[in-house]
Amino acid sequence: MFVSDEDLMMKCRKGDIGAFELLVRRYQNPLINYIHRFINDYHRAEDLSQETFLRVFKSASRYKPTASFKSWLYTIATNLCRNEIRNRSRRNTCFLEELVEEGEDVYHTEIMQDTRYLPDVLLEKKEQRQIIRKTLAQLPDNQRVALTLVTYQDLRYEEVAEILGCSVGAVKALIHRARQKMKKLLIKAGIGEEKVDEKI
Amino acid sequence: MRKYKQTEFPKAHNLKCEPNLANPDELSAYIDKELPTWKRHLVRQHLKKCPICASHLQRLIHTDNFLRHAGDVEASDDFLTGVMARVSEVAQHQRQQESLWTRICQVIEISLGWMPNLSALMGKLRYNIRTRSPVYISILTFAVFTMVGVTLYQPSGDKFGEELRELNSEKVISLEVIQHERPKRLLTTYLHRK
Repeated sequence: MFVSDEDLMMKCRKGDIGAFELLVRRYQNPLINYIHRFINDYHRAEDLSQETFLRVFKSASRYKPTASFKSWLYTIATNLCRNEIRNRSRRNTCFLEELVEEGEDVYHTEIMQDTRYLPDVLLEKKEQRQIIRKTLAQLPDNQRVALTLVTYQDLRYEEVAEILGCSVGAVKALIHRARQKMKKLLIKAGIGEEKVDEKI
Repeated sequence: MRKYKQTEFPKAHNLKCEPNLANPDELSAYIDKELPTWKRHLVRQHLKKCPICASHLQRLIHTDNFLRHAGDVEASDDFLTGVMARVSEVAQHQRQQESLWTRICQVIEISLGWMPNLSALMGKLRYNIRTRSPVYISILTFAVFTMVGVTLYQPSGDKFGEELRELNSEKVISLEVIQHERPKRLLTTYLHRK
C-alpha cells in the first residue's frame, strides 16, 4: 500500500522515526541529484542532502499537511544550496570536480574517482554529461533551479513557483529563457541540433 | 572533443511569428504539459499553420531531450545510515528536552494545584516563542507591560478638587464661561461642601 509523503510526515510528527526513514529512502537519490546539479560537487551534495533531511526532521512539528512535502523539501534544499554557493564565492574556492573538468588535477581524480558513480563508461555519454553540467552551471541561479526542478525532478510549475517564491507566469518565463540559453550554450559547446521526430 | 552530428533546422527561427498566437513562453509550457486544455488546443492549431513556431518548438524539444541524458548519481551506501544516526541523536536530544520541560511543568503544576492544564499552556507558549520568536516576543512583552502598567496605575481620588485648589478665582470664572454646565455645577457643589 502506497502511503503519501504527507501522511508519512504526519506520522513523523508524532515521533515515528520509521516513517521518516521511508521518506529518506524515497527522496535520497532525487535530492542528491538535485543538489549535485546545483552545486556541482558530489560529496558536498551528500552533506547538504543530509543537512536537508535533518532540518526536515527538526521542523516536523511545524509541518502542515496543506503544503506539499516535495516542494517543502526542495525549498529547504534550495536555500541550503544558495548559502553554499554564497559561501563558496565568499571563500573564493572551487571544488575538485571543477578542477577535474579544467584538467588541472587529473592524477588525483584518477585515484579518487569512484566508478560506482559513473556507471556508464562510454566516452560519448561521459562527454555529454560533462557538457550538460558545464552548461547548466552557466545559467543564472533562478533559471537553473527552475529548469532542474522541472526537467529532472518532474515538479509542476506551481510547485516550482512555491519553491522560488514567485508566480507561475514568472516560472514559465524562467524555464523558457533557461531552455533558450541552454540551446545556445550547447550549440556553442559544439553540439549540433538533430531533428526530433516528435509529434506536435 | 568528439564531433556531434549536426543537422540544420530551417532558418525560420530568425523570423518573427506574424499571427503571434503562441507566446514563446507558452511553447515551453506546452512541452511540459502545463497549459490548460483550451490553450493547448489553440497552440496546437497554431503550430499546424506556423512553420516558424513549429521549428522553434522542435529545437526546444531537442534541447530538453538532450538535457534529460545528463545521467544521475546515486547516494552512497552509508548515506541512509548516516542520516538516520543523526536523526536518532536529534530525536533523543528532543526527548530529553521535552522530559526536562515536562518535569518543570509538573513541579509548577503541583505547587499551583488550582491551575489546570498548565503544562499544555506552557507547551503552547514555548512553541510560539520558538517558532515566531522576534515578532511574538515583542508583542508578548508589549502586552505584559501594558497589563502591568494598567494594573499599577491608580488615579488619585479627588482629582477634580485638587485641580480646583490650584485655580484662582479668575480661572474659575473663565472655566465657567468656557465649559458649559457641568463644571459650573461641580464647582458649586464643591463650594457648598466647603
